[in-house]
Amino acid sequence: MPKVLIPTPLRQFTGKQDAVAVPGATVGEALNALTAQFPELRKQIFNDEGKVRSFVNVYLNDEDVRYLGKDATAAKDDDTISLVPSIAGGRR
Amino acid sequence: MIRIEGAAWASMVAHAEGAYPNECCGAMLGSNGDGVKLVREALPLENAFAGEQAARYELRPEDLLAADRAARERRMELIGIYHSHPDCDAYFSQTDLKNSCPWYSFVVLSIRNGKFHHANSWLPNVEQTAAEKEELSY
Ligand SMILES: [Zn+2]
Repeated sequence: MPKVLIPTPLRQFTGKQDAVAVPGATVGEALNALTAQFPELRKQIFNDEGKVRSFVNVYLNDEDVRYLGKDATAAKDDDTISLVPSIAGGRR
Repeated sequence: MIRIEGAAWASMVAHAEGAYPNECCGAMLGSNGDGVKLVREALPLENAFAGEQAARYELRPEDLLAADRAARERRMELIGIYHSHPDCDAYFSQTDLKNSCPWYSFVVLSIRNGKFHHANSWLPNVEQTAAEKEELSY
């Protein structure tokens, strides 16, 4: 099963686990399985329309899945999925 | 609340003053327990904003992924992001809010005429509509 690395502040929703192995043949299936297992996590990752929130970049190993197959990107055993925030700003 | 250890704080201030009149940005690593976030190390990151950097910053996701891995390897946690506001106060602007992530503390350093002036820490909500001030000590 692919493994999802849990960012520190979200471990409160996964019983303190820093990584969770979840069933799923694609990145989208894996994230859905993860948030089905830990429902409080869902709001942090998906918006009300069920889309991944704008501030979340999903990485499969070292690649942003946006440049692979997005949600349909195949996830194999031993693959690592990371949730990487999109952060910017400015004084004005 | 968030507490920043002396050496980490000194490197954040030096980074922000050195980047003046541009904005700087970086990651804060440390531990999180008993309701207190403790920053033990500041990791300066490149401001990747493609335009004028005097009023904008942008972090590369790859750099944040690397920062998170570095933290895990050293048994620390990525707990926050810092950036500077040259010649204005350490508020959380609309631009900051719209490009924020609710998982982290956002420390803003006000730099006036090239010197550190004051700082605040902010906790944006998941909808990116408001940020709450967090008690900060350094
Ligand atoms: Zn700002």
